[in-house]
Amino acid sequence: MPRLLLLATAVAALALPRHSFAEEPAAAPVDYQREVRQILSNHCYACHGPDEAQLQAGLRLDQRERALAALESGAHAIVPGDSQASALVQRITSTDPDTVMPPADAGKPLSEKQIATLKRWIDEGAKWQDHWSYQPIERPAAPVVKDASWPRTPIDNFILQRLEQEKLQPEAEADRSALIRRLSFDLTGLPPSAADVDAFVADDDPDAYERLVDRLLASPRYGERMAQKWLDLARYADTNGYHIDNHRDMWLYREWVIDAFNRNLPFDQFVVEQLAGDLLPNPTVEQKIASGFHRNGMVNFEGGADPAEYLSKYIVDRVNTTATVFLGSTLACTECHDHKYDPFTQREFYSLYAYFHNVPEQGLDGRKTNPVPSMRVPQPEQKAQLAQLNRQKAEIEKQVQAKLAEFEKIDVPNTPAALSPTPREYVWVDDAIPAGSKSSGKGVEDWGFAGSPQPVLSGNVASQRRAEGLSQHFFEQASQPLLIGEGDKFVAHVWLDPASPPAEIMLQFNDGSGWEHRAVWGENKIDWGKADSPSRRAIGGLPPAGRWVRLEVDAAAVGLPAGSTIDGWACTQFGGHVYWDKLGIVTRMPQGSSINDNQATWELAERGKAKSSLPEDVQKAIKIAAAERTDEQRSAVRNHFIRHHYSQARATFAPLEQQAAALDKQRDEVRTAFPEVMVMEEMAKPRDTFILVRGDFRTLGEKVTPSVPASLSPLPEGAPANRLGLAQWLVDPRHPLVARVTVNRYWQQYFGAGIVKTSEDFGSQGDQPSHPQLLDWLAAEFIESGWNIKALQKQIVMSAVYRQSSRVDPAKHTRDPENRLLARGPRFRLDGEMIRDASLAIGGLLDDRIGGPSVAPYQPPGLWEQVGFGGEFSSQSYTQSHGRDLYRRGMYVYIKRAMPYPPLATFDAPNREVCTDRRERTNTPLQALVLLNDPAFVEAARGLAQRIVGSEFSSPPERVNLAFKLCTSRMPRPEEAQVLLAIYDEQRARFEKDPAAAEKLLKVGESPLPTSMSPVELAAWTAVANVLLNLDETITKG
Amino acid sequence: MTLDEHLRREMTRRTLLGRSAKGLGALALASLLNDGLQAATPENPLEALGALGQLHFAPKARRVIYLFMSGGPSHIDLYDAKPKLKELTGEELPDSVRMGQRITGMTSGQSKLLMVGPAYPFKKYGACGTEMSEVIPHIGSVADDICLVRSLHTDPINHDPAVTYLLTGNQQPGRPTLGAWSAYGLGSVNKNLPEYVVLLSGGGGQPLLARYWGNGFLPGKYQGVQFRSTGDAVLYVSNPEGIDPAARRSLLDGVQKLNRMQLEAVGDPEIATRIDAYEMAYRMQTSVPELMDISKESAGVLQMYGAEPGKSSFANNCLLARRLAERDVRFVQLYHRDWDHHGNLPSELKRQADQCDRASAALIKDLKQRGLLDETLVIWGGEFGRTSYSQGAISANNFGRDHHPRCFSIWMAGGGIKPGMTFGQTDEFGYNVVSDGVHAHDFQATVLHLLGVDHKRLTYRFQGRDFRLTDVAGNVVQQILA
Repeated sequence: MPRLLLLATAVAALALPRHSFAEEPAAAPVDYQREVRQILSNHCYACHGPDEAQLQAGLRLDQRERALAALESGAHAIVPGDSQASALVQRITSTDPDTVMPPADAGKPLSEKQIATLKRWIDEGAKWQDHWSYQPIERPAAPVVKDASWPRTPIDNFILQRLEQEKLQPEAEADRSALIRRLSFDLTGLPPSAADVDAFVADDDPDAYERLVDRLLASPRYGERMAQKWLDLARYADTNGYHIDNHRDMWLYREWVIDAFNRNLPFDQFVVEQLAGDLLPNPTVEQKIASGFHRNGMVNFEGGADPAEYLSKYIVDRVNTTATVFLGSTLACTECHDHKYDPFTQREFYSLYAYFHNVPEQGLDGRKTNPVPSMRVPQPEQKAQLAQLNRQKAEIEKQVQAKLAEFEKIDVPNTPAALSPTPREYVWVDDAIPAGSKSSGKGVEDWGFAGSPQPVLSGNVASQRRAEGLSQHFFEQASQPLLIGEGDKFVAHVWLDPASPPAEIMLQFNDGSGWEHRAVWGENKIDWGKADSPSRRAIGGLPPAGRWVRLEVDAAAVGLPAGSTIDGWACTQFGGHVYWDKLGIVTRMPQGSSINDNQATWELAERGKAKSSLPEDVQKAIKIAAAERTDEQRSAVRNHFIRHHYSQARATFAPLEQQAAALDKQRDEVRTAFPEVMVMEEMAKPRDTFILVRGDFRTLGEKVTPSVPASLSPLPEGAPANRLGLAQWLVDPRHPLVARVTVNRYWQQYFGAGIVKTSEDFGSQGDQPSHPQLLDWLAAEFIESGWNIKALQKQIVMSAVYRQSSRVDPAKHTRDPENRLLARGPRFRLDGEMIRDASLAIGGLLDDRIGGPSVAPYQPPGLWEQVGFGGEFSSQSYTQSHGRDLYRRGMYVYIKRAMPYPPLATFDAPNREVCTDRRERTNTPLQALVLLNDPAFVEAARGLAQRIVGSEFSSPPERVNLAFKLCTSRMPRPEEAQVLLAIYDEQRARFEKDPAAAEKLLKVGESPLPTSMSPVELAAWTAVANVLLNLDETITKG
Repeated sequence: MTLDEHLRREMTRRTLLGRSAKGLGALALASLLNDGLQAATPENPLEALGALGQLHFAPKARRVIYLFMSGGPSHIDLYDAKPKLKELTGEELPDSVRMGQRITGMTSGQSKLLMVGPAYPFKKYGACGTEMSEVIPHIGSVADDICLVRSLHTDPINHDPAVTYLLTGNQQPGRPTLGAWSAYGLGSVNKNLPEYVVLLSGGGGQPLLARYWGNGFLPGKYQGVQFRSTGDAVLYVSNPEGIDPAARRSLLDGVQKLNRMQLEAVGDPEIATRIDAYEMAYRMQTSVPELMDISKESAGVLQMYGAEPGKSSFANNCLLARRLAERDVRFVQLYHRDWDHHGNLPSELKRQADQCDRASAALIKDLKQRGLLDETLVIWGGEFGRTSYSQGAISANNFGRDHHPRCFSIWMAGGGIKPGMTFGQTDEFGYNVVSDGVHAHDFQATVLHLLGVDHKRLTYRFQGRDFRLTDVAGNVVQQILA
């Protein structure tokens, strides 16, 4: 056999733990579940498995009836009891390269041992079992063990039974300091304090351990610790992830997860709220936030990308994540075709897809703000601020009402327009268009105002326009319209460029409802309005060019009789170059601010406005003739006028209004500061869902409706056909996977590997459970406990198996290198976040605030900028935090998917692009560089130095003991202490000789440096602390 | 069993496993047990230090330098001469040519897709006479050393998915890059530097994402390590102020002593791995600054690349790539940004060519003169090509081109590649491949092949599936192999 094959066999054997331990008794019949299925799955299913489209020779080996049935050729692949007659055996033992199975080009040949297993299995009758993980969960009885004194909980019976079978001895219980360290990291993600270690070590009470467990479970740090793990699954991040990778606001979701763990929300509710919190009856704000679970996926807005493609990808990500997190199944393959190994079809993939397809979201989104749907959630302190502002506002309103009451007694002018005795000219537009008006016309947002050297008649500027053909500029919706009286004339001044005179010019007026009021001069080029009517009144020939000419238009002649108003004006020309200045009216009517001397005049002006800004009731009342108004309407109009417009009352009300406006502004500011979070919503009319042929969003296949895979438990009775129904299905106690997958994942958290090592794959390609009965027992217990998450954690950590010493016995290690049988306690490197948190805690720097927006610790400059797009987009350049934010736990560090925070990424933190179930744990030189040199860790070393120099201990040996204990939770052995003391002496001598070096070292980090301590002493201890923070033991849970 | 025996046994077991479980761990143990043992050149040419254990074929290339031109350089204006297109400038692209090809949202709104000829004249270079644009005379000068593939094609039409696809075999995030696969499969042949190094240059233009040198579902140690021209060359490689190298060594000795004591007491081989990782970290503190310091290169070499010590540029990165090759780093990936010329193509293309041309050619010449080209595969290219029609209006010296996945040009040189040839043909519009198409997966299969790896057999089990770089496709392009 070539070496490669041998190697493959060796790997396969190790992947299946049972083979690497005791030899099977020869008589034991082959176990299909543990021995046969995986061979068939890995080597045969690709062509003879669940994917009907790829099925060869009509042979399907994942179902008994199909495997035993006659083939297309008439032969039988499997004849139970007779391997010689079985075509399968003939083919796998064939020496003919054309007929041997699996075919050579598949690259998956069978080993001799595998062939023997298959033969023996057929000879023994080809007994079949359905795949274990899809079977209902039944609670097994705890097995009887020989050493009945060892088990502390039923968990231990399952573990010990296997160890006894394998003739392995469990390790003794770890010592007290190791136990409190292990528990503290596992339940809070932080090392124990020195005082806690001392107290626990000294506590002889038999309940001491349990009390410690209860205390840690009750700590708010517990929620953070558990959330940290969940956020990997939820693929939580602070940026959108694709392409430009800009900022999004999702931290409220993170906060929800922490809180949910801390209040021990039952797991079933935890699932329902995250998948369908928005669909619960009268959902709370928190439940809506929880529904953001499936909004954590990446979002794109790359220029030119197809929205339909990305919308589809978002939903595919939701299906895949749901499958990994809750089903421990790999559905990703079924996006394009039926599953090769497990009983899931492509149709079923899109039936799940249909559940997530009804969110009112966009394929391309997130350019400036959170991708929709997103909501703002006022925080408690913001609510308090708002309440305070509202109270102040109410106080002002009270004063306003009091003043209005005073005006009740005063006579306010309210007679139809008090006319001035003689007409006067009122200029409406000179150097600016009227307040509130909106200007328009191609290229003249500024109304074409320009000053010298061009001709200007009045003021500093005139408006000008150069045109080919018909062209104009205009404004409308002036807040103070012109009031038109009897015999009034519009006035405008025009200067035609002799070098380029227009063919025709025109003035046009807007009465609030339209522009059908025109006056024209010159040729008949402008094709608007009806000739000889107010909509097109010809006044005369083109005025002379090269000088300012005054134009007058009789208002009545253009359809604007006395009592009407205009709020817009247009200057129009056909070709040429024209200047306009000093537009207005010759009138006896009050204009401008004097309109507000008189209620009736004000009402007239208000009625003429195209768009009223009055409150609705006043608006309505003002249109009714004064005599016909109700008392209520009368007082509404009058009060509004007095309060907001009446010139004689401004001095009274303006200051109050200003205060009110300032409060409104503050209120708006508070409201816009409400943090945002992306949430789920359901569209009123669901989208249709189709199978996407080969996963291509452009090729729609059959239409499908929401439903769940047939090979799993059925939907619960009455479950709605939406996400809520899907969630109810997942947490139905009959569901075979969710509880198993969940307890396995928690087991993995404590022991480094799950009972099923491939915690993300419980299918036929996944690993077999090392302790299948224990898995089922834990799952059944979990469901029966009411999905009590804290109870499950307690159950695990109370066990004897968890409490074992983690010392690695060479003989055991040879037998079971991965410690799958758990003949010793867990020992492995901490997660990146925990390493950060531990060093901050050890250095006395850790900030204990829970939740809130993400923070930006020290990071080498330029990392984001070098890859970023920059420009208007967020999260393109890094702005470091300062103060307390520098010392927050790793879980609050800003996660930019395109450029993850290096110290965490180096320690295997995933980039959160996709759901991550298991972090790999690597051990690399780059990790050493982080711990040795990252300013955050150097500063933590200085923090630790400050703690020990500031402690009650003054002798170096005592200080070494304290520092060592803070890092490892134990006292140093004498030889260890000696090494550290030697380093201290050496560094102290070095810094004494070179105090400048001490000063430099102590400057690392922004935390204040105590002036009371000797820099040389502090620097020497900082160096010692740097060593301690780099110890394997410091960054290991053992 | 003594600890020493135990560790030896552990080492044997892991060696048997091809170090798949904890690759570096095995190396660490090896050197822990025998400090004289170098993890350098394997005696057996088929031995791989990574997960493969054994290469599938005799490797033609020992390492890869991939000059990735981010944004999508225009094949029509650089490598794929289309005289007919010049004549057709201003005419509409026939539907019979477009054949329903997806168009990005940037040009899908244009009422007409008007063709536009190359911005600069082409000329024949070298003895082989390969036609390339006049704007890349230096690359032209190594025409006889390179194989120009004009028929690469890919699936995506936007940057993020296209880069992801070409480097990971899949458009969506989550899979390892070519460099990560190499590091995983082949392991490191270098004791002082990481096996997968990334260098960035160029500002503006399309953004980059760490995913482009990411490890995907592979363990984190297989991700590319960024080497930088400013600040720490490798993040955190410098000691803090106040800790000089001697002090660092002394502190590190303390760490190592204490870790050895802990190893004695606990027996966990992971501690041995950590001890070795710290030694390599220490070596990197010397080897990395030494590597990055190009000031001692001769004036002639600096000039050949156009490199300037202390600057950050593509030229400097090319020179660094050669230095990394000399130190036997397995996979060096350069990214140079700003080849996305939707508008102002003639001037932008020229500017980019000026930044890349000289150094790209210098790298080939320099590797060659040092006898390294034969064992180093050099690749030059972007994520897709550009359209034969203009994005926006065409004027005398201004037009733009949109993304085009149906065909584009890249070139390869060195280890195992037939020099002085062109491969594949596109139609007269530079729009469709006419013959010898090379799909992205074929390209990937070919690169792995040159490294001695059968792309179908370099797999990693993730979520129940044995994933590979080439997904379910990929054929080695035999015709371009030397």
